[in-house]
Amino acid sequence: MKRLFATFLLLIGLIGSMAQAGEDATSSLYPVIPKAAGAPHPEGNDFMRINHKNLLKHDRDLTMRLGDREVKYSLKECIACHAVNGPDAQPVSVKSEKHFCRVCHDYAAVKVDCFQCHNSKPDPDLVKQLTMLPVKDRELAEYLEGASQ
Amino acid sequence: MLSTLYAVLFYVATILLIVGTGMKVLKYAKTPAPLKIPVSPAPRTKKGVVLRMGREVTLFQSLFKSNRWIWIFAILFHYGMLLVLLRHLRYFTQPVWWWVELVQPFGVYAGFIMVAGLAGLLFRRIFVNRIRYISSPSDYLMLLLIIGIGVTGLGMKFLMPVDILAVKTFFLGLMRFEINPLPMHFGLLLHLGLVAILMIIFPISKLMHAPGLFFAPSRTQVDNAREFRHLSAWAAQLPPLPEAIPDAEEK
Repeated sequence: MKRLFATFLLLIGLIGSMAQAGEDATSSLYPVIPKAAGAPHPEGNDFMRINHKNLLKHDRDLTMRLGDREVKYSLKECIACHAVNGPDAQPVSVKSEKHFCRVCHDYAAVKVDCFQCHNSKPDPDLVKQLTMLPVKDRELAEYLEGASQ
Repeated sequence: MLSTLYAVLFYVATILLIVGTGMKVLKYAKTPAPLKIPVSPAPRTKKGVVLRMGREVTLFQSLFKSNRWIWIFAILFHYGMLLVLLRHLRYFTQPVWWWVELVQPFGVYAGFIMVAGLAGLLFRRIFVNRIRYISSPSDYLMLLLIIGIGVTGLGMKFLMPVDILAVKTFFLGLMRFEINPLPMHFGLLLHLGLVAILMIIFPISKLMHAPGLFFAPSRTQVDNAREFRHLSAWAAQLPPLPEAIPDAEEK
């Protein structure tokens, strides 16, 4: 019994020292998530990682059936900021393993249904609108546009 | 800190599960089965025994013959759990095997089926009088433990989602002897804690019926006592009878 206990203590010590060694950097086992182009999510990445599927509940349900006309999140905008360029400098489609959605979804073996109907490549105009100007300037541009009208 | 604790917990639990189960199986294998006692109707060839065991393992044949409604709950639970376990392989393999990917959506429904089967077995223990009379605390404990694991798992799927990427990195890390942070999520910690407890008590619990089935002489023996004399290993080692003792007929 004493020997068993000693073995456990040794094991705990070993693992404890292992943990300190591995604490400094994010693990190489974690998928490499591509950086997005636009302004960061106000909700934070951790929130988005867990809840994006609920935010993306289809407009068919939210707008058509439940009557919510102010759906804040749109797949089109996700795709625009999170575009990943392939070797030809053009955004890749979901067929490529490098596609933003697939990096994590492949890792977790979760199927993405969105792109059976929706386009997985960004709309170039929307990309410009969302990523070319920083947030402050974008607000200013919108204001100026409104004022000119 | 809690991540380290859980890492230690899972290393200890895995060692106890493997070594404990291995020791028990060794004990089962060494235990003599001196008598020829296959439950009839029993197959008369080795091939027949293999088929019989196959039916027993996959269809729970003897349970089907003895009690139909317990069989329904048992099948629901065991096959539900099989799919759920296969679904969980995605946390331990990178890249995920194609057939595990295929199982994913079915595994979600299987989670509900598994808990439903367990609930049925629990109701049986509580509401069937003669079953309640023979139920021991450990019978309830096993059911409640696995129900707890199932409910917390479904809870994480549908009510309080968790960062499964971090969970997968934690377990891939454990398999490569590195510790990565586990999300500090109540449901997850409860789920994993219950799983670790289950792994630890598996070798000393009634759940050993899984490997034990393969050592049940009443199912694994060939019914060929008429064709061949059955001589257990220890009896074969006895010295031959002395000549002086006459056979019964000669008296």
